[in-house]
Amino acid sequence: MKGLLRVPSWSRIKPVLVVSLILAFLLAIAYKTLYPLLFKAYVGESTAVLTYANSHELTETEFEQLARDLTEQARYRKASEVVEPDQHPFARQVKLEILMNTPSFVRETEPSHIKYFREAGIRRYEGPKTCLQCHATIQVEHADGTRSRVDTLEDIVNSVHFKFQTDAGGFSTYGYDGRKVNAIGDRRIPVGKIDRACGIPGSFTWTGWAALIEGRPESEDGEPGEIELRSEGCGQCHIGGNYYPATEKMMPIGDVPEQAKAGIDCLICHSSEYDMNQRYVIRDQVGLRWNQDRSLRAALTVGPVSNRNCLNCHQHNMGGDAYLHNVAAQSPGERHPRVMHKGAKRGNPFSPADDVHAAAGIQCTDCHVPEGHKIPRGRFGVDLVANDLPDKDVACEGCHSRAPHNNSKHKALLNGHIARIACETCHIKKLQENNVVLRDWVHPTWNAKEGLYEPTDVYRSGEPGKGFTYLWFNGNGTFLANALGNNPNGSADYNPLMQQIARIQDPEVIAAVRAKAIELKETYPDIDVEAYVRAATDPLSQLSPEMLERREAMIQDNLRAAMNEGESRIYPFKLFNAMMYEDMSNQGPFGAMILPFDYTTYYETGDTRASLVEALKDPILIRMYQTPFKLYMMDEFMAYFGVSGGWTTAYPLADGRLGNVEPHWMRQMGTLMVNHGIQREGRVCRDCHAPDGILDYPALGYEPERAAELADLDLIESVDWEATE
Amino acid sequence: MRLFQARSRISRHALPWVVACALSFASSLPASPLLDSDRPEYPPDTTELDSQARDCLRCHAMETLAYRDPETGEILDLAVDPRLLSHSVHGEMACTECHRRSYRRYPHPEQAGRETFSCVGCHEDDPEDATYQFLSIEEEYARSVHVAPGASEAEDFSCHSCHDPHVFRVSRVGKEIGQVVRDDNRVCMSCHRELTDPLDTTHAWLPKRDAHWASVRCLECHTPPSDRAERVSHQILPAEDSARDCVGCHSSDARLLNRLYHYRSQEDLARKGLIAKALFNEAYVVGMSRNPTLDALSLLVIGLTLLGLTAHGVGRYLTYRRRTNRQ
Repeated sequence: MKGLLRVPSWSRIKPVLVVSLILAFLLAIAYKTLYPLLFKAYVGESTAVLTYANSHELTETEFEQLARDLTEQARYRKASEVVEPDQHPFARQVKLEILMNTPSFVRETEPSHIKYFREAGIRRYEGPKTCLQCHATIQVEHADGTRSRVDTLEDIVNSVHFKFQTDAGGFSTYGYDGRKVNAIGDRRIPVGKIDRACGIPGSFTWTGWAALIEGRPESEDGEPGEIELRSEGCGQCHIGGNYYPATEKMMPIGDVPEQAKAGIDCLICHSSEYDMNQRYVIRDQVGLRWNQDRSLRAALTVGPVSNRNCLNCHQHNMGGDAYLHNVAAQSPGERHPRVMHKGAKRGNPFSPADDVHAAAGIQCTDCHVPEGHKIPRGRFGVDLVANDLPDKDVACEGCHSRAPHNNSKHKALLNGHIARIACETCHIKKLQENNVVLRDWVHPTWNAKEGLYEPTDVYRSGEPGKGFTYLWFNGNGTFLANALGNNPNGSADYNPLMQQIARIQDPEVIAAVRAKAIELKETYPDIDVEAYVRAATDPLSQLSPEMLERREAMIQDNLRAAMNEGESRIYPFKLFNAMMYEDMSNQGPFGAMILPFDYTTYYETGDTRASLVEALKDPILIRMYQTPFKLYMMDEFMAYFGVSGGWTTAYPLADGRLGNVEPHWMRQMGTLMVNHGIQREGRVCRDCHAPDGILDYPALGYEPERAAELADLDLIESVDWEATE
Repeated sequence: MRLFQARSRISRHALPWVVACALSFASSLPASPLLDSDRPEYPPDTTELDSQARDCLRCHAMETLAYRDPETGEILDLAVDPRLLSHSVHGEMACTECHRRSYRRYPHPEQAGRETFSCVGCHEDDPEDATYQFLSIEEEYARSVHVAPGASEAEDFSCHSCHDPHVFRVSRVGKEIGQVVRDDNRVCMSCHRELTDPLDTTHAWLPKRDAHWASVRCLECHTPPSDRAERVSHQILPAEDSARDCVGCHSSDARLLNRLYHYRSQEDLARKGLIAKALFNEAYVVGMSRNPTLDALSLLVIGLTLLGLTAHGVGRYLTYRRRTNRQ
């Protein structure tokens, strides 16, 4: 009894306590100082204090001049909305001036931050540091009505807009192995735009973050002109201001360096006067990074986030860079203008000219209702994009109810379609003409006007059945962005991964691809036109019979369940495929690991292999082919990718020569959701219910009799449908 | 009278169950098989239906066939679930037996939307329907708060406001009581949405309001005590006339016994006797589950205990007396 109750004496505990305290202290120091250094060295990244030429101190007089200009502009804008335009111009001018100088009008119209900055003595905008002086914490309203106060910087640094990935759950994406990505219970890996395999940009965030390219535009008569530096890279749309994306956030420990946090561009989202001409690549002692507008002018005009802010970046992936009403693209950069992509990623613009909601002045955040800096993209996600608020709806029904049609004589019938047909299916009748469907990165084309080699867009179209198609969709997608869903009849024949999105059968499209192949053959004599057309339009022909068999089995065994889940409706999906170099050591029935290009080499020389070799030298790619990376995430990544046996670490570059690398089209087309570019006038009955209608009923899994009935409705003959809307 | 307006307020999936219990008095009639799967078969089997109904269902089977009434702003649900229709008592009828013949053409004539329906109109003289006592239902209904003189929405109210003829079918005993309560109350709550307002005070007097709502039908308090044990009255009472006495239910002579729990037939209760009464169909109501035998037994036990205690005390006293006497 006595022995059990004996307490060790203080003299014995003391040394143990002291040693453990010292150890803990040393560990903390190592974590704070040594770990970031080691991590940076491992992934080959560097940081420095970021400076911006347009962030400079204004004198008192300069500040007041700027304030006066800004308020005058604001007053003029607002007064013009108030004073009726149908009067004598001089009379109107006089009234405008009267109103603009009315004290209450001045008070209400002045940009709010002029007063704040004046009082706080802020005469220079220094990035987040300036904003956080007042906005260190913000109140966040959650979907359930509760409120909480969060640290602003933490909030943004942990948002998808900063990280571009997440290792949390909430994906509606399924691996080809049948597992939901990062599902509860599985080992979670960081995935999202930062590291997903995607043929649209041709590169990925590390190798394509910021590039300066020497363009050699030719004059009209073919004379070489002066070298013009151009900017390109993923960093143009991503708010981190550093030399690299936020790799640190992919690790379970550690944080982004303070310098990188100080580089966050608050104003691109919060300023109404942000100058996109300041957005170009700059080179400093450390490397290449994206400049931003840190002028006091932009800072003084902060206000509620408007469509213009979101569209600074997001029109790029909706209307596209070449879209007529892409405002940001009109300001390509006062130096090193950004390379504008001619082919559109989706071709469904959000602008008053082409979208009924934009025309009504609806704001992006009206549907994508943010919670702090977390912005929902809806429950439905076909592609591997991280979602900050996966449980929050972004849906037409939120505003329009389940009976949205009120104008037509046939409103009830139109509403009746909603159980099976998504709103977008009728209200997006076409995409922009430059919507790119097939992009060949391996055989670039010289653009003499810009003096750059560009990937060749083999086929572009905004037409239904050509540039986009209609698929059953229940909100789930595959790891390589293929919409999942099924006909509610539980069809076993509906199989887009073997049919619609793995094969192009439209003779017009095939003819266009052939014409392009013949054109390419002039530059690339090795091209076998027929083989080229076959691979582009029948990408499954690139698979061996065994692979094809495994593919069919995997669809049945692994994806059917995810297809049959929930309630599917027919949605429009933009189609996309790309020819890229692939690492054939990591190949599966749905594709092989896509390899990135170094933009500078690519655009300047058009030598795609050299560009690939250059990209492969990037430290992160070298690490990717090593065991720690394999174990940390690549094995899991490849399992989702449908590649069995884990990640093969055979680095595709040995002594400067490419190893097991081949150019291929992805084995199926990616399908991207289109939800914007909504038109008031929807489709009419005959667009679908006709033998040559836009919906291919048999391919959508309808029984032959039902398909025939749907394609030829006798009802249509007997009714005057002109009033349909 | 707008038939569809009121119906739209009721979740379509709830209706078969709702009707099943609303018709619980008909439990002696042969029951149709209940539908088990959550996911409706698709496409639904409509071979049982009248050929004309099949024509109508080409459109009306669309699950989202509906529109917003420009007058009220409410969504009018026009969908008819073919699966439920084919299982309903009206499943074999042609649509125009109740609806106007002009409905056979599309687009339907504008005035066709205003129809009046009367259950009694068809069922009154039918000797087979004697069990249903439609005439007394009609009398009770006429006194109901929903249509009594002065009721604000009387004009819009009909049998179909609560009962959907397209899914109506004969009920079957065996449904879990909790489900009966939920389904029944959903009918009331589909219109009386104001009750879900967290600031609503109409039932503030009722102790443990939410517990009551979860396990007792609105009808138990909001209908008068019925002479016929087999059926709940169709006379829905206004708030001031509704039952407020706790003892009405919380006693051995419970009102609930003749109502909700009557759903489990008397025979069923009788046969299982004590246990059935003690457990009362998955539900326990404080104060109600008294049993005379149990009461007698308890009294006996208490009496015996008292007797034992007295005997013990007397014994002790007697021994004490004997000891002191000896000294």
